[in-house]
Amino acid sequence: MHLCSVDNYRESTAVHKKVLIVDDSPAEVKLMQGLLEKEGYWPVGLSDPRRVEETITSERPSVILLDIVMPDRNGYQVCRDLKGSAEFNSIPVIMVTSKDSVSDKFWGQQQGADGYVTKPFTREELLRAVRRFA
Amino acid sequence: MRHANVVILTDETEFARLLTACWQAERQAPGVTVLNSDLWREQEAPAHDLIVVGPLRDGKLTSVLRSLEPATAVILCAPADSRELGQLRAKYPRLVHVPLREDWAQTLLLVAGESLRRTEAVRIAREAERSAAKNENHATLGRYMMDMKHSVNNALTSMLGNAELLLLEPGQLSSQSLAQIKTIHSMALRINEVMQRFSSLANEIQEAEKASQAETEETGTPVSQRR
Repeated sequence: MHLCSVDNYRESTAVHKKVLIVDDSPAEVKLMQGLLEKEGYWPVGLSDPRRVEETITSERPSVILLDIVMPDRNGYQVCRDLKGSAEFNSIPVIMVTSKDSVSDKFWGQQQGADGYVTKPFTREELLRAVRRFA
Repeated sequence: MRHANVVILTDETEFARLLTACWQAERQAPGVTVLNSDLWREQEAPAHDLIVVGPLRDGKLTSVLRSLEPATAVILCAPADSRELGQLRAKYPRLVHVPLREDWAQTLLLVAGESLRRTEAVRIAREAERSAAKNENHATLGRYMMDMKHSVNNALTSMLGNAELLLLEPGQLSSQSLAQIKTIHSMALRINEVMQRFSSLANEIQEAEKASQAETEETGTPVSQRR
């Protein structure tokens, strides 16, 4: 497994503005890819949340857009694992979800999420959240 | 308490006069209609919560009682032997006998008051049951909407997002397609507003229920434990 320091990681991803989209719905992955590509980002889609860590290692994204309701491993679990890992905890995680209650957002924060976008979002809302980090 | 109505059914004018006078002296007097056995037809009787059957002409008691619905609240204040009363009670579970003794009027007023309160309590309970059944239906609908919210929001994400993507390059679309996509986009925004209002409403209801529950629990706490 490839390891790098946080500083090196930021430096190496700054140019590409790569965004990892983790969502079990291929249609939504494709949609977010389309919206981000138009803005010059390099989106990478992933429908299987069990493969988040290996995808981060190979793709080295600047920011992660993470759905919550997914089979096998939900977004809260993924976020908790990433933020608990010395290797990945510096990568900003934005929850992108249809779970819109105050308690959902609070729980997202508790897992260490850096941003929260509720579905349905407008293009501007998504881009504003991504621009904070990349 | 809703205004109650009582029918006094008797062939003895003095009985009706005395009872009506006693009731009028009460703080909460029911509406009273006096009928004799010749005028009595239950189907044509005014709406009533209680029937007080006083002394009737010979042979009329049986025919009058036979015409009553078994569920009708009846106070019988007329001479009747114990065997006859036993049979009547079996047929009319809500029949109460007040013997025509010296203090019959006071006893009858007490019994009538209790009977009317019972009728009112039953009415309120039935209304509450109807209301609870209606609320249960609404709750089922609400739960279904809450369950579906996730799917609706996901579908709206695709509708809004793809419409926005197409609108980013208006030059590639005919003017008709452009107008149609703008319509799809604005309608999706409208559905989104409706869903957001629904979510806010659901949150408000949840908060109100929590507050009400806390209030109920507080009321249920013994006074000695309250601070």
